[in-house]
Amino acid sequence: MSERTSDEPGQNRRGMRAFTPDFLTELFHNPLDPGYADAAAQRAKTGRPARSGWSVGPVGLVVIVLLGFLFAVAYRQTVAEEPGRAQARSGLVAQIKQRQNETDALSTRAEQLREEVNRQRETALGGSRAARLRELEASTGLGRVRGDGVVVELADGPGGQDSLSGANVGPAQVIYLDLQSVTNDLWAAGAEAIAINGQRLTSTSTIRSAGQAILVDFRPVTGPYEVAAIGPGGMRKRYETSYSALTMRKVAKANGLSFAVRDADDLTLPAAPEPRLRYAEPSVSPSASPSGGDESSGSGTSPSPSGGGR
Amino acid sequence: MIAVLALFAGVLLGLWLDPTVPAALQPYLPIAVVAALDAVFGGVRAKLDRIFDDKQFVVSFISNVLVAALIVYLGDQLGVGGQLSTGVVVVLGVRIFGNVAAIRRHLFRA
Repeated sequence: MSERTSDEPGQNRRGMRAFTPDFLTELFHNPLDPGYADAAAQRAKTGRPARSGWSVGPVGLVVIVLLGFLFAVAYRQTVAEEPGRAQARSGLVAQIKQRQNETDALSTRAEQLREEVNRQRETALGGSRAARLRELEASTGLGRVRGDGVVVELADGPGGQDSLSGANVGPAQVIYLDLQSVTNDLWAAGAEAIAINGQRLTSTSTIRSAGQAILVDFRPVTGPYEVAAIGPGGMRKRYETSYSALTMRKVAKANGLSFAVRDADDLTLPAAPEPRLRYAEPSVSPSASPSGGDESSGSGTSPSPSGGGR
Repeated sequence: MIAVLALFAGVLLGLWLDPTVPAALQPYLPIAVVAALDAVFGGVRAKLDRIFDDKQFVVSFISNVLVAALIVYLGDQLGVGGQLSTGVVVVLGVRIFGNVAAIRRHLFRA
């Protein structure tokens, strides 16, 4: 491109171009290919006249046709790629939605079946053993419970959430650790049953983060978060003095996310999905052992059997 | 005038033939387009400066495209393809801007 800058004809066109002190300065001062000046000087020397008007030679014409061709191809290429990307994205979104709907339908069906089983069992057992079973189910999260308690509300602050581009993920967002500490302190304050956004927690529940999302038992929950807890009367007072309540109040004041604790009467918390029982197996081959028994039980709400518990 | 017609003919040819670019060449297409734009604006400016030379134009177009593609290829092999193509785009972009500014001065005297 610029290999001819040191040639003589190029230099005497402008007297200042004896040296090229700096490539970038040269580039900014004189963006035209120096070859043109050289060619013009050569022509002036030999006395050949410059072509007039817009006419170019046959080779030039071919190159110009090639240029147009290149532009058209690049245009076609860019246009052709765009819908592919958008399609892939919307296809994935649709798949996620469909799977979620399927999971919802299946879990409602599981719920119905479980109630059916409960009814059958109560008629079969009867009396004090059924009552004891109900009590155990309530405390382990397997049964629907109703009662008075507190509701802790957390929500992202304004301006801190750009879920599309992921930009500006500031401290004005509720993170999974907040939910974890709130639920832990609620348990400590005497809660008997807790649900986050209608997801009942059991002793094996997980609250984790995956990228931007918060997963409770592998189901994503989105803000505003509502942690409902059923427990004894003094629970709210005990919770208010807990570490997480104090911290969250401070964070809320500093960063603008919202945090509120209120008493709530007559809360109904749904049952948690059936826990997936895992059985120890004699290790035949180490690669096949962890998932074999799980697959056959077939109630899987989570795709990864080995990552289930804590 | 003939040049403009030739450009149009090329565009129509490209749209009509609609060739598929091989996957191996796809990363070089944007760089080739930028290099070609540089050659075009350089040519137009030279024409307005009355120093246009079609041999120079042909050589600058072909060498620009080839060198740009070569730099990107080298960068890909070395693992710095993104940075090197940014460098190519910056250099050619500066040249395009400078030439367009010169063309604008020629046409509008401003």
